[in-house]
Amino acid sequence: MSSREDILQSIRRNTQVRYEKPDLSELEKEAVVYPDKVKQFCDIMKLTGGRAVVVESGDDVNEIIRRQYPEARRIASNLMSIVCLGKEQKLACAAFHPDDVANPGDLDGTDLAIVAGRVGVCENGAVWVQQDVEQRAVYFISEALVLVLDRRNLVNNMHEAYKRIDTGEYGYGVFISGPSKTADIEQALVMGAHGARDVTVLLV
Amino acid sequence: MSTKHSRNAEKFLKDKEQVRWHDQTLWMVRAKRDNMSRQLPEWERLRDMACAIKMYSNSHLDLLLQEFEKNAQANGAHVYWAKDADEYCSIVYNILRAHSVKHFIKSKSMLAEECGLNEFLEEKGVEVVESDLGERILQLMHKKPSHIVMPAIHIKKEEIGELFVKEMGTEPGNNDQTYLTHAARKNLRRKFIEAEAAMTGANFAVASTGECVVCTNEGNADMGTSQPKIQITAFGMEKIVPDRESLGVFTRLLARSGTGQPITTYTSHYRKPRTGGELHIIIVDNGRSRILADKEHVKTLNCLRCGACMNTCPVYRRSGGYSYTYFIPGPIGINLGMLKAPLHYFDNVSACSLCYSCQNVCPAKVDLADQIYRWRQKLDGLSVASSSKKVMSGGMKALMEHPHLFNLALRNASVVNGLPQWMVYNGLNDWGKEHDMPQFAKESFNEMWKKNKIK
Repeated sequence: MSSREDILQSIRRNTQVRYEKPDLSELEKEAVVYPDKVKQFCDIMKLTGGRAVVVESGDDVNEIIRRQYPEARRIASNLMSIVCLGKEQKLACAAFHPDDVANPGDLDGTDLAIVAGRVGVCENGAVWVQQDVEQRAVYFISEALVLVLDRRNLVNNMHEAYKRIDTGEYGYGVFISGPSKTADIEQALVMGAHGARDVTVLLV
Repeated sequence: MSTKHSRNAEKFLKDKEQVRWHDQTLWMVRAKRDNMSRQLPEWERLRDMACAIKMYSNSHLDLLLQEFEKNAQANGAHVYWAKDADEYCSIVYNILRAHSVKHFIKSKSMLAEECGLNEFLEEKGVEVVESDLGERILQLMHKKPSHIVMPAIHIKKEEIGELFVKEMGTEPGNNDQTYLTHAARKNLRRKFIEAEAAMTGANFAVASTGECVVCTNEGNADMGTSQPKIQITAFGMEKIVPDRESLGVFTRLLARSGTGQPITTYTSHYRKPRTGGELHIIIVDNGRSRILADKEHVKTLNCLRCGACMNTCPVYRRSGGYSYTYFIPGPIGINLGMLKAPLHYFDNVSACSLCYSCQNVCPAKVDLADQIYRWRQKLDGLSVASSSKKVMSGGMKALMEHPHLFNLALRNASVVNGLPQWMVYNGLNDWGKEHDMPQFAKESFNEMWKKNKIK
């Protein structure tokens, strides 16, 4: 008999009481909500070690990104333009498309990646990134990361977030909450373990 | 009365400064966890729901695992079932061999530790590189983790600095944590890019979508799986959750409980193989299905491996992970070890003061302390109860059942106060080890009551 059958039989033989699936609706109803989602999101982003920048009407996104990352030269993005408060702005600061490289390892040395976030979660600063390029390495290998997020896509908590997300055609998605970090050496918090050392969420 | 745990703890306790640091650092993590929990009015309901979902999923494993398999296969993944550690190791090896993999990068997986995967593969000539910073440090030192979430919590930065001079060419004497971390970042970058296959564990496997969810702060799981085309993901079968709604509950609890963060930096959802790549998923039993039959201990399968029970445990904090004889230390490790092989791991059962703190912080409400208590009742049946404790309990029983004897003993107890040191503190008196004996009162409460001294 196959291991699969063995295991399933062992489970059936040993399972005692079968418990009901709980109803989560009460929890979802009483889960934390924020009166000012933009403010809460900006506050929690600081706690994650990153930052959120609210783009006001009249702001130039290219300028905001340049000001934040003046040293960045190799800038990757799959975004041609960014819609800010209903107005489309051409993204001029990106140097190349992440899928222009032959191997994901070639993305090593990317100073900055500018990618789209789909949902932002106010309770923890997590931004849902659904894979939208062939080389998803770009989300992690770049030294810094800008996540562009429509402020209307802020939700209060993870219950609300999971109702809104998908892994799309590529079958991959990730919540990213601030910069990569570790405290593995004597519990001292260090940004930039393996992924981006710095993360900015642009709330457009 | 001394157990392997207490003898190992003695070694740990020799470095008083290290013990103080270990204790306070973990307590700080516990305090961060408290702070996080207090910010959510629905915290207790979250824990109740996490427990209820696990009770549901662990009592429907046959159905949920098959649902997961069907969906994962529809997503293009290969699904394997491993009965035990050997089968799990062999499946991994066969995948690597079929693709002539020589460089293999792994992110932290307690299942791999449980099954001895690295040793198995290295014997077969596969170079395994751990990518979690703490795990990598330990791998280079040929040591084992002492905590399931903070594996290198027992290692000092000076030791790491010295190691990195040798392994990564850092400046001698520079033990700055940021400097060392970034040296490892640079060093491991090459390893990620060179690897021909990457492996992760899974924090959750979602039946309704066939996806595996991995939570990291470093981003090492994603750095690994976004480079080579071969991805292997393995999980113990109790990691299954029914659907994404359940993830809403668990992702809110996991990091808040474990490290006191609102969520880990990365919560990655792997559903399909990369374009032109392969995704291999291994479902592992290794004794878990047997636990289902044990009503008194089945709740250990609720465990999320967050580490909160260790951080809060007064015994763990003051004795360190290496004091325990099972590879998972702390309250959850005591119980998992007993379920694995009681005659092998019973020494750990005494490493508990029954303060119940673990049970009160566990996000999935594993009845950790109740279970330890139950194991203690079974020690005599296993013929491993401590003989000196049995003599003492026998003596206490005689005393308690005979009020005259009890009162006589109490009246004369204060004699001990005046005895010379060598008579009180010696090998025969376990209560006098590692702490001072209490001063016995000259008069008992009973006597004071009778003389009307208590108003």
